[in-house]
Amino acid sequence: MDFSVKKLTDLVAFNRRNFIKLLIGGAVGINATPLPWKLMDDVAIWTQNWPWVPVPARGAFNHSETICTLCPGGCGITVRKVDGRPVKIEGRADYPVNPGGICPLGSGGLQLLYTESLRFTGPMKRVGARGTGDFVAISWDEAMQTLADRLAELKRNGKSEALAAIDGNRPHSSMSLLIRKFMDAMGSSMYARMPSLEDTYATVNRLMFGIDAPMAYDLEHADLILSFGCGLIEGWGAPGRMSNAWSLWRSEPLKGKVKIIQVESRASNTASKADQWIAAKPGTEAALALGIAHVMLKDGLYDSNFVANHTFGFTDWTSPDGKSHRGFKNIALRDYSPDVVSKTTGVDAGQILSLARAFARARAPIALCGKGKGSLNGSVFECLAVQSLNALTGNINKPGGVLVHQDVPLQARYSAEAKGPGEPLTAAGLGEALTADKISVETLLLFAANPAHTLPDGGGFRKALKKIPLIISFSPFRDESSLMADLILPDHTYLEKMDDVVWPVGLQYPFYGLTQPVLKPLYDTRATGDVLIQLAEIMGGRVTESLPWKNYEELLKERALNLFEAEGGLTSHDSSRPAWEPSAYRKVLKSDCTSPEELWKKLKAGGFWYRPFQRFGWHEELFKTASGKFEFCTDKLEKAGADLAKTLENDRDYPVVMAPYELINLASSWAPSPPYLYKTLFDSQIRGKDCFAEINPQTAGEYKLKQGDYVIIESSAGKVKALVNIFAGAMPGVVYLAFGFGHTGYSDFHLNKGVNPNSIVAGPRDFLTGMSAWWRTPVRLSKTKA
Amino acid sequence: MENQAHSSQKPLKKGWFISLIDVVLSYYSYLISQPFRSGLVYFLAGLIPSLALGWLIFPALLYSKQPQPLQFNHAIHTHPQIGIEGKTEEERCLQCHGFREDGTFTGIPNLATCMKCHDDPESTLGETPEEEKFNEEYVALGKEVPWLLYHRQPDCVYFSHIAHVKMGKQECRTCHGDHGRSEKLPLHQRNRISTYSRNIWGYNIAGYVRNPWERMKMDNCADCHTKTGHEENNACFVCHK
Amino acid sequence: MKQEEGKHKYGMVIDLDKCIGCGTCMVACASENNVSVRTDESDKERSIAWMQLFKITNGKPFPQTEVSYFPRPCMHCHNNTPCVSVCPASATHMDYHTGIVSQIYTRCIGCRYCQAACPYHARYFNWYDGYAFIQPFPKGLERQLSPEISVRMRGVVEKCSFCHHRLMRARTRAYAEGRRELEEHEYITACAEACPTQAITFGDLNNPKHKVARLSKSVYAFRLLEKLGTEPKVYYLSTRNWVRRMADNYRPDQLEPVGAVKT
Repeated sequence: MDFSVKKLTDLVAFNRRNFIKLLIGGAVGINATPLPWKLMDDVAIWTQNWPWVPVPARGAFNHSETICTLCPGGCGITVRKVDGRPVKIEGRADYPVNPGGICPLGSGGLQLLYTESLRFTGPMKRVGARGTGDFVAISWDEAMQTLADRLAELKRNGKSEALAAIDGNRPHSSMSLLIRKFMDAMGSSMYARMPSLEDTYATVNRLMFGIDAPMAYDLEHADLILSFGCGLIEGWGAPGRMSNAWSLWRSEPLKGKVKIIQVESRASNTASKADQWIAAKPGTEAALALGIAHVMLKDGLYDSNFVANHTFGFTDWTSPDGKSHRGFKNIALRDYSPDVVSKTTGVDAGQILSLARAFARARAPIALCGKGKGSLNGSVFECLAVQSLNALTGNINKPGGVLVHQDVPLQARYSAEAKGPGEPLTAAGLGEALTADKISVETLLLFAANPAHTLPDGGGFRKALKKIPLIISFSPFRDESSLMADLILPDHTYLEKMDDVVWPVGLQYPFYGLTQPVLKPLYDTRATGDVLIQLAEIMGGRVTESLPWKNYEELLKERALNLFEAEGGLTSHDSSRPAWEPSAYRKVLKSDCTSPEELWKKLKAGGFWYRPFQRFGWHEELFKTASGKFEFCTDKLEKAGADLAKTLENDRDYPVVMAPYELINLASSWAPSPPYLYKTLFDSQIRGKDCFAEINPQTAGEYKLKQGDYVIIESSAGKVKALVNIFAGAMPGVVYLAFGFGHTGYSDFHLNKGVNPNSIVAGPRDFLTGMSAWWRTPVRLSKTKA
Repeated sequence: MENQAHSSQKPLKKGWFISLIDVVLSYYSYLISQPFRSGLVYFLAGLIPSLALGWLIFPALLYSKQPQPLQFNHAIHTHPQIGIEGKTEEERCLQCHGFREDGTFTGIPNLATCMKCHDDPESTLGETPEEEKFNEEYVALGKEVPWLLYHRQPDCVYFSHIAHVKMGKQECRTCHGDHGRSEKLPLHQRNRISTYSRNIWGYNIAGYVRNPWERMKMDNCADCHTKTGHEENNACFVCHK
Repeated sequence: MKQEEGKHKYGMVIDLDKCIGCGTCMVACASENNVSVRTDESDKERSIAWMQLFKITNGKPFPQTEVSYFPRPCMHCHNNTPCVSVCPASATHMDYHTGIVSQIYTRCIGCRYCQAACPYHARYFNWYDGYAFIQPFPKGLERQLSPEISVRMRGVVEKCSFCHHRLMRARTRAYAEGRRELEEHEYITACAEACPTQAITFGDLNNPKHKVARLSKSVYAFRLLEKLGTEPKVYYLSTRNWVRRMADNYRPDQLEPVGAVKT
């Protein structure tokens, strides 16, 4: 054969036709294999398995029991874990306070643990400008040494008073005790507390009962509850206990037999879900309470026996110095007739009459004082007036009444060793003194507090912070105040450390709980209790002696072991026998621990101690006031009444009132909101960067405001911009802003959302304590574009 | 062939089918006699490599192969005399691949499970190089062995072992074959596209199945439910999460 | 088309008199079911909530105004389930053995037809990957994910499953104890469990011993948009007439008050 190229080309004849045949051959062949079908299947599966979508690790499920400390409510929680990794927080059924239920904040708690951008992942020092959040990581040794050197320097130069601390821990907690002791040992009296309703209650209990124990209400046995602004179902007291009580009132056999009356200016959830809503102007609750007292006194609808035998100051009296004082009866009858009160509060006079009669005739009526969740101070005047109502019904230390207890029998309560009686400094007071240059603070320690955001002081503290050369924060979260700090020594989050819970607000029995770390710390953080004790050790001398414990756990143990010495008390709970059941109250239950060590062991498993017992009556020995009786504190009532009249005077420049309110599904205290909480907010509460101000249609009409318009709310302290939400449940002449918005700290979830009402709070102070009367700020409104 | 003989004379009577065969045959002879001109070669040149691609090369390329971190001899462990105690094979399997108190399946045993037996001086480890490796790299360091899973279903699948093994009385080998009797662990093969283990689709690239354990796709589950009279378990949420 | 009656018919009764509108059900649901969370949750067209709270007001002027809430999970319609009948991918299904309407995320093609069909707005589309290792998703949050529920990718629809994995969890435990039947308390949804006022009751509507069976027959019981005939398995209770009127089952003159406490 001739193999010339030409011949070969002829033979092969690779032309267009044959090329197509080649392709067809290929196509036929491929389709005769599983390749296309398999490939299609695999690609389909591939689209279901994006590599960037995480696949949660499987493993063995187990759970740890502990107590939630995100609010003072002390709910029992159980943390569900997968191979030790927490994945869910649930309520705990074997627990006296909240049988099984939980609140939205507690339910979302894991997000506070896991959101990395929310936390300080280790000790840090500031490098950028204050507030920018520009920090660099340092070692714990360096952080501790920096702090110890600074404290030693202050001490050496005799400037102990230039060291200040702001404490946001609960008043009776071991952390508070430790911080106070540390400050004492350092020789500084500049220990300031963040405001809380608990402190207001303590003030009132000291004045009227002469005792230093938490407020206790036997709500589960009351048949009429008259709440002066407490968000009964919006986070007041121990929310787990309150919601459970609410459920009881709305179920058989109590259904329809318990009457809930809410006094509030706005149709809140509590007001709407209550049996009756009394709309009193913000800040006039005390006058309404005294108006009710007036009707009760006039109609003789009060417990004359209790009043005669166990109260002081009911009738006019003369003090040893010869000065005469008006009695409670005189004040209420003369100054608080229904017509006068109606004018002050905006509540119809007839309604006051019927309300007073219903209250007085109830079998077990309780009047509650407080505001919203109680994460800020309450009005002392209101509390004195409301507590006086309880004295008039004589429903004190009776089933279904206000209970008077001694405190939880823990060792080393601070008050016993405190230098003097009275109130500790308030954070706002510290800020004001700083601003006015009355004091000079060179180093500020921040414990579980975010005064730059949560103090209702019109932004005053934020400005005061600039005067302090060194700010040290122990917060695990990047809150606004910590972002102003120079040194961060981050604490563990509440799920990573041991701490205690002493008597959740309003609970009718003494309760002590110990939280348990449910996982190893995720980041390079250290428990602040341990850090303080270690710091004391470095400082040496008196400081070391004052804090003799090896670690924080030892302090907790030392205090808690005293519970064993106390009369009775239980460390386990049978959910079929609620802690508030009368049967539990009749006699002291024998302790279920045989040794202090056993008690400690049980507490350490995330456990609790409680004593569901109350010695009712005993009115002769109950009150520890100077008179040995319940004191009406008439001088204070009289003076506060005069003050109130002044605060209510119309302000021509600021004709509208701004009343902030708290939401149960948005944190407004130091601990941030878990991101999930923003899911529960309506788009009439927050939309994009703007939050809404609730305004009554009538008021909105006066200012030509429509739904969704922008409005500027301006007080003497500043102004904020919000969207208008027309809400018929808002009182005319009042504009409502929710707490918990307007963060400039924390994480992307919290930033640039709405405005912080605290930043414009201004106006007359609360009587007696001089604290902010945040519930009533005179403002003016103006419409604006975008 | 009678028709064909008369075809030239009576073209109109010829059936269409026969004409087709006619055409095909004559084309076929043309193809054979002149393979190049007719294009047969080209057709085959397309066909044969693509068949090879689909049946041989593609399966080889599709899966990446990983050796297990350690070799493990199931046969010794399940041996009735020298292995784990248990009357039946199932019992012996469940000793290591068992159920927790809440009924969930432990899957591949962890180090602690191994050491339950191997802490005993009578069953010490270290005789073979693999055992030594296990001792040195894992037991001594307290590190879990990162076993590769042959039968792990994707994350969207929920499978309850206890429902099948304890309540449904299924043998382990129904789905896992003779894995429990193997002396060596086979290479783990991961699909490069879907990332699944090859055992899910099955070793046969065509998905052809002789034994139930050779393939673990959804249809196989559903077929078995239907055959065994558990059609209610074909509801979506029974196996999906 | 009436569905064949199965053995179980799981359902829910929500007592609106007890509901305090706190949103715990929403948070408990989201954390139980790996529901995504975005930095702007106020964008309600993009945010996902299997359990969604709706706020209603009685429309009266101050101070007679009242607010109340409807917690809204998937209604698990028992009859002519609107989402199931329109799904072109058979990615959703009403299982008549349990009464639960399923949604298979990996099978969903993201056409959103079901979303349009659902009269209760109970279905949500993933416009973004719910959880992702890529930025800007906040780092660290993926650690809260539970392995009991698969994580959804972008482009699929999701909705309340009556915590179906909890049914499987309960069954698995029962099997371990050698039982096939479940007790009433063994399978309840995360929202019912978390509700601090026990407003949500969950159980088998077919089982007369279960609390839901009794409650759903209360004179105060009603369902949302009952008039559509989809037989939702979520019942509400309210003694307030204005709340019942909001269920949109009546013409203005049609509602018959039932010895109501409040109108």
